[in-house]
Amino acid sequence: MPDYRNKVQAIADAMAPLRSGMRLMMGEFVGAGEPACCVQWLLRSGITDLTLIANTPGLRGGFLKALLFESGQVREYIGTHVGTTEESTAAYLEGRVLVREFFPMGTWAEKVRAGAMGLGGVLVPVGVGLLDQPGIFPQRDGPKPVLALNGQTYFVEEALTADVAIIKGWRADTFGNVEFRQTALQNQRDLAMAARYTVVEVNEIVEVGQIEPERVGCPGVFIDAVVQGHTLAQQHDLYRRHWIGLGRLAPAAA
Amino acid sequence: MNRKDLIAWRCAQELKAGQVVNLGLGTPTLVANHLPPDAGVIFHTENGAFGFGGRPDFYNADSDLTNAGCEPITLLPGAALMDLATSLGAMRKGYIDITILGALEADAEGNLANWATRRQGRWWPGIGGAMDLCHGTPVVIAALQHTDKRGEPKVRQRCSLPLTGRRCVKVIVTERAVFDVGPRGLVLREHHPEMDVAALRRCTEADFELHADLKPFALPCHV
Repeated sequence: MPDYRNKVQAIADAMAPLRSGMRLMMGEFVGAGEPACCVQWLLRSGITDLTLIANTPGLRGGFLKALLFESGQVREYIGTHVGTTEESTAAYLEGRVLVREFFPMGTWAEKVRAGAMGLGGVLVPVGVGLLDQPGIFPQRDGPKPVLALNGQTYFVEEALTADVAIIKGWRADTFGNVEFRQTALQNQRDLAMAARYTVVEVNEIVEVGQIEPERVGCPGVFIDAVVQGHTLAQQHDLYRRHWIGLGRLAPAAA
Repeated sequence: MNRKDLIAWRCAQELKAGQVVNLGLGTPTLVANHLPPDAGVIFHTENGAFGFGGRPDFYNADSDLTNAGCEPITLLPGAALMDLATSLGAMRKGYIDITILGALEADAEGNLANWATRRQGRWWPGIGGAMDLCHGTPVVIAALQHTDKRGEPKVRQRCSLPLTGRRCVKVIVTERAVFDVGPRGLVLREHHPEMDVAALRRCTEADFELHADLKPFALPCHV
């Protein structure tokens, strides 16, 4: 058997390479698929001036990652939207977090994928003639670059990379092969590949060989540290309680 | 029915069995409530699924199975999951047949504005997946209230806010009217029975022609 290094670490040890001022990628979709325990560690860490690269700021109602906008730890946000949480809306409108521009979600996903795959960038037709209009993104450094090819105009969108990525999976083996559940697959693997150093938080850690190779959604080669998060039952409980609070789920019948 | 449900009910009638449909956030998500169980529509959610179904009860709510607004969903037989880049690629490339999007404004050219209003000197809240849908989806339905909170018309001759899509809207549905977007502008196809054409002209900024088969909404009997 190959020498599959054991990458399981305590969260504080796994997060040691993350320093103030770094570029941090995080897996999520409006709060689903967030690395809950790593976020809670971050909130207590004293780390500041982060550039957060995430699809959205998260889920409203004082939930996990959104609190990083309230705590002032995010200096710049690179994503698609700031309106999904109260914390990110306030930080943006009050000028406490810098947003140079918003990206259409497919553009953001491809920028991350380009970073993951070792490309310089991608050509994207979405938003040409709309997002390059005067006054749309006053914080942007100069106009959006365009390129004409075969009669169509594209934005030249640079790849996104990061110092550290934190992704969330269902379970991983000790080497970091990750299996995902349902719609929490998202672009967690792309984020893992796009960062120089990647932590995966999972509900369950198993021995190497216990995850069927065809079920591995993110190969362990892209992972540097594996940390134990909530169990799946605890995670269901966390989201169900929050959903009930938001009126999105009926409480269990008494 | 309140105004939002009236819009959603009328939008539901535009959908046909076998179509791949993406519902935007807000009022459009209510459209699913107004479809019969055998409607045969394949719903897409941009976080990565084709073929999702209704809301689960408490015991079946799965924290890893959500829609684009992070609400718990279920999957129907035949559903398929995919990663984010694939899901957004499907939107950009045109694999979604029809999308129903909320709108701040829609206009006579079929332009749609729904990603930005001016708040404290900034454009807010952001784009999400709406621009990818407007770019690639053959049929975009704009679902919006006929007037804003101050009574100002939202169906405009030209949108004033930053656009999400240019010349992409094929149908505009409000609680008072259904307009088709034609090559020469809007064509009124249906109207609320309590709104005649003259009343609609007073609350609609855009000019519109009348459809040869203009008729009132066939309101459900429980309204």
